[in-house]
Amino acid sequence: MEIPYYPINDFGPLMKGLVIGALGIFHVFLAQFAIGGGFLLCYYEWLSQSGRCRVARRFVDGFFKLLVLISFVVGAVTGVGMWFTSIQISPRTIGLMVDEFHWLWATEWTFFCLEIVAGYCFYRYGTRVDDRSRLALLGLYALAAWFSLFWINGILSWQLTPGGWIGTGSIWEGFFNPSFWPSLIFRSITCMTIAALVACVVANLIPELTRDERAELITKASHFMAPMVLMPLLGLWYFGSIPPESREWVLGGSVAMTLFLNLGVGASALIGGYALFGLLRQRLYVNAATGMLLCSLALLATAGGEFVREGVRKPFTVRDTLYSNAILTGEVAYLREVGSTTADLYPLLGANELPNEQIRLGAKVFRFQCSICHTLDGANGLRHLTAAWSDDQKRIMIARLQHTKTFMPPFAGTPQELEALVQHLSWHNSGQPEAWPQTGDSELFDSIGEMLADAGAGPGVASLPQEGRGQR
Amino acid sequence: MSSLFPFGFPGPTAFYLFLYVATLVLHWVFMNYVLAGSGYVVVVGLFPTNTDRPDPIAGILREWLPFMLSGAITAGIAPLLFLQILYQYEFYSANLLLFHRWMAIVPTLIAGFYLLYVVRSARFSGWPPVTRMPIAIGACACFVFVAWSWTENHLLSLNESVWTDLYGSNRIIYRSKLVVPRLAMWCSMAVAPMATIVGWQLWYAARGNAAATTSNTRRVGIVALAGLVLFVFAAGIYGWVLPPAERQVFGQPAAWPYLLLAAFALALQATSWIAQLSRGRLSAGWLTLASLGVVGAHAGVAVVRECLRIAALDFAGLYPRHAEASQNGGLPVFLFFFVVTSALIGLSLRIVSRGWQEDP
Repeated sequence: MEIPYYPINDFGPLMKGLVIGALGIFHVFLAQFAIGGGFLLCYYEWLSQSGRCRVARRFVDGFFKLLVLISFVVGAVTGVGMWFTSIQISPRTIGLMVDEFHWLWATEWTFFCLEIVAGYCFYRYGTRVDDRSRLALLGLYALAAWFSLFWINGILSWQLTPGGWIGTGSIWEGFFNPSFWPSLIFRSITCMTIAALVACVVANLIPELTRDERAELITKASHFMAPMVLMPLLGLWYFGSIPPESREWVLGGSVAMTLFLNLGVGASALIGGYALFGLLRQRLYVNAATGMLLCSLALLATAGGEFVREGVRKPFTVRDTLYSNAILTGEVAYLREVGSTTADLYPLLGANELPNEQIRLGAKVFRFQCSICHTLDGANGLRHLTAAWSDDQKRIMIARLQHTKTFMPPFAGTPQELEALVQHLSWHNSGQPEAWPQTGDSELFDSIGEMLADAGAGPGVASLPQEGRGQR
Repeated sequence: MSSLFPFGFPGPTAFYLFLYVATLVLHWVFMNYVLAGSGYVVVVGLFPTNTDRPDPIAGILREWLPFMLSGAITAGIAPLLFLQILYQYEFYSANLLLFHRWMAIVPTLIAGFYLLYVVRSARFSGWPPVTRMPIAIGACACFVFVAWSWTENHLLSLNESVWTDLYGSNRIIYRSKLVVPRLAMWCSMAVAPMATIVGWQLWYAARGNAAATTSNTRRVGIVALAGLVLFVFAAGIYGWVLPPAERQVFGQPAAWPYLLLAAFALALQATSWIAQLSRGRLSAGWLTLASLGVVGAHAGVAVVRECLRIAALDFAGLYPRHAEASQNGGLPVFLFFFVVTSALIGLSLRIVSRGWQEDP
């Protein structure tokens, strides 16, 4: 079994998930703004051309400039940045995704090309072409932008609910997975909402508009938020489609995930309530400051939603296939035999500061198996999490890791490596003294081996038979 | 590599190599425009001509650079995708080893992008040189930094023997005697393609205006020829500093026909520009030949570059990976939408041309 070993970087006190999460939330928000913006502009252009809202044309040109300046620049570059960051965090995860779905990613790329060309045609020549051409260009732009969502949604939702792909390896069964449709519709409505909220801000920033004209534009934008009434139903559909244990974590099993879910739901409810009752029914006026506040709430809702989406996949990054620490489900038993660090040729940074070989081995085990989600002293720090545990407790907890916390992957190393990790953590918790005794005799290692065997090499959550792609 | 590239490889490998090279050439066209174009804007700013007339090339570049950067980033996605199929382990390892210094290309690109929009703005021309130049230099420096990062990443990905030492040293810069000559080669290679695209833009803008065409022809022609000379010189130096074992790749059947193609394509470009300079005007026919030369030179260089990479790796060991990746479905869908979206891109351009109003 050949397992690739990559150089693993230390992000200091930052948990790696926070790094990719922060960039991901920012990128998703901008991308959703660009997608919803396409449809919103089509709607405004139609309102203008059909005489329903004469001022809409001026708004379309102003809004599109903002869209190009934000989405075509930061949105596009952070998209590439997401790829590079994914490589930094978990090269095996992004590698698996690319291997499986590269033709669909390439298909998405063709829509990016159309989006850029149609978008720039409108940006440069929108004021010089006739009405029909304006609408056609905006339509093409909107279509291309939405299809980019269509393709990436299938790939991302596959990570949590790979569906029939697990057994067959068929990318179409993976792409049109159980959470594909609720996720796609939910995201499409989110895109429309974000674009409408940004429209409320932009309407206030176009200097030549009167207050009545702004009010008219804002009222029209609020129509785009009406589909938010479907969000609770779509949310339920989505939660019905994900694995039961993932559902349990967001519904109280994991406090952090529950809090983020509530953040997302709460922020969305505030926006939805304001949009439906304040804007649509009462026809309230939204000034730029309130518009910005609503956009900030939408960013918070996006943050909550994306955190939950990433979090509920644990202990996997690809359900039943690849654990969150980038070890394939089928590799755990093998690594318990040969050791997880045996083939890791990358030296340990700061090895001379560690008191003995066992602690150095523990540091390598931490780097390979834990550092993707944990730090030692920073965010989600193991030192803090294990501070009160005795060595025996640590041995039991780590050997039965997937049962200790079902969102954790099983320990994938030899008993010697497990003991080294225990000592590494204990040494840290004891203030990193210069001397530290090496532990372990054959009896102790046998006992750890029995605990590992008792825990099994599978995940703690219910999983499909281990005959799928994870065995590759 | 005993057969003409990419025929000497198993089917899946050859197919991915072909797609990688083809999409890389497309990306280079846009990238060349941005890299050389932003550099030209700096040079013109530093050494202004005595005439009061604004430089027409710089004017066009300022107008089009943001779009071309969008094009470069978008066109770059496809080769980046196929690169991950072909050389996943090597590419990912180099990314990780360069760490923050590699990831810096993301904010750098954003900064360069916005600086290009500042350069494009109507107010920019009215600012004093002391304000204009730092902005123009800043934009160009951003793209040179990205080019340097890619050069370093590529070279590091080929040299597995230094990976563990580099990681252990905690350095995030890979020092190699090849980095600077290679970067110089790529930067100089960008000039002639940029001039060719600008040539088309000038030709299109000045249809029927012979006087404008004549003065612009001289300027853009000299830029193109200077770029070609610089490239040949830089490529010669790069070939000279290459280790002898790597130089031998040039003589292999997979590579030498493409080396010849590149040389022929460079000569075609030079001929085209000399002809236009001597006639004193830009012509669609000669520009077409120059464009073919650009594509030919890029294709030739891209293949030779690939042959060097293949020779440096245990490439045969990667065949099973390529074969396995090729088993995944979706190729017909990609081909279908490639045709559909290409048609829609053509339709977008046609919509503009048909809906154009002289006096909206």
